[in-house]
Amino acid sequence: MTTAIILTGLGTYAMRAFFIFALARYSFPPIMLRALEYVAPAVMGALVISMMTNTKGELTAGWAESLGLLGAAVVAKWTGNHIFALLSGMGTFWIIRWLI
Amino acid sequence: MKNALSTPILRGSLDALPLFIPAIPFAFVFGVVVANAGIPSWLGWSSSPIIFGGAIQVTLFTLLGEGASVAAAVSAALIVGARHLFYSLTLAPRFQDQPAWFRWVGSYVLIDQVFVLSQINRIEEPGIFRRYYLAAGFTFWALWMTFTALGILLGPAIPASWGFEFAAPVLFVSLMMAASDRGDKLIAAAAAMGVALTFSHLPHRAAILVAVAISVSLMLLIRRRPA
Repeated sequence: MTTAIILTGLGTYAMRAFFIFALARYSFPPIMLRALEYVAPAVMGALVISMMTNTKGELTAGWAESLGLLGAAVVAKWTGNHIFALLSGMGTFWIIRWLI
Repeated sequence: MKNALSTPILRGSLDALPLFIPAIPFAFVFGVVVANAGIPSWLGWSSSPIIFGGAIQVTLFTLLGEGASVAAAVSAALIVGARHLFYSLTLAPRFQDQPAWFRWVGSYVLIDQVFVLSQINRIEEPGIFRRYYLAAGFTFWALWMTFTALGILLGPAIPASWGFEFAAPVLFVSLMMAASDRGDKLIAAAAAMGVALTFSHLPHRAAILVAVAISVSLMLLIRRRPA
């Protein structure tokens, strides 16, 4: 158990540090810098889907979840405030779940 | 007060706070996973400072609890965490004008939320970036240490039927919108969602890795000419 925790800790740290150290003196070509701009939105989108699918790969989002996420996206775009987006997303989710 | 609020350290901490909200129900889920795995509380909690990654910790203890071998559980946990390689690559240029100690310490707190904060708030000045990044990272760190301890001590304090776990995808949708400050970035996010759905049958959230690789490559093909 202790071995597993330490190995996972070392592996996780190694992944986080890998390119930061490996490319510390690398001069990034402009095309690569442009590509990296898409990493954050792409990872966030993929993370959302991974949270809404089960281990069999089936989508677990019903009406309440889908509209909750949509509500959060609209409020986030509109206000740029994560607390408002959380409140509207959870609020929509709870209300629709209660109605259905 | 205005001066205090405009310091990068305070701003980093304050930006981290709302992003931690969905991690609270997750910390209680973690507590249940540790209890079910049948390991001593302190040993389960030690994974918080040693690994510092919620999904990775939960995967590791879930599999070990189910009787998987150390090799199988560790490799599965590391595949779940492999998206951190993308974060490391994306932040590498920003870490070039930083002192060596920051590369060591900054890598330790490079979690999903700290990464996305560093991408949303593009800070050019290295000293300000460093203070902001560390403040956000260690605010998260202190909260995660506290709440995973509470999760282990209190067990399932938040009933699953309330659906508080749904706060995690809600927050990440909000972060996705904040990270998509241009139309092409929103297309990248939508493309990644589509690919992730197509590959969602892959084990250990490997669909995330495929989705990011395909989405970023696709965007490069579409926008070959400089903007």
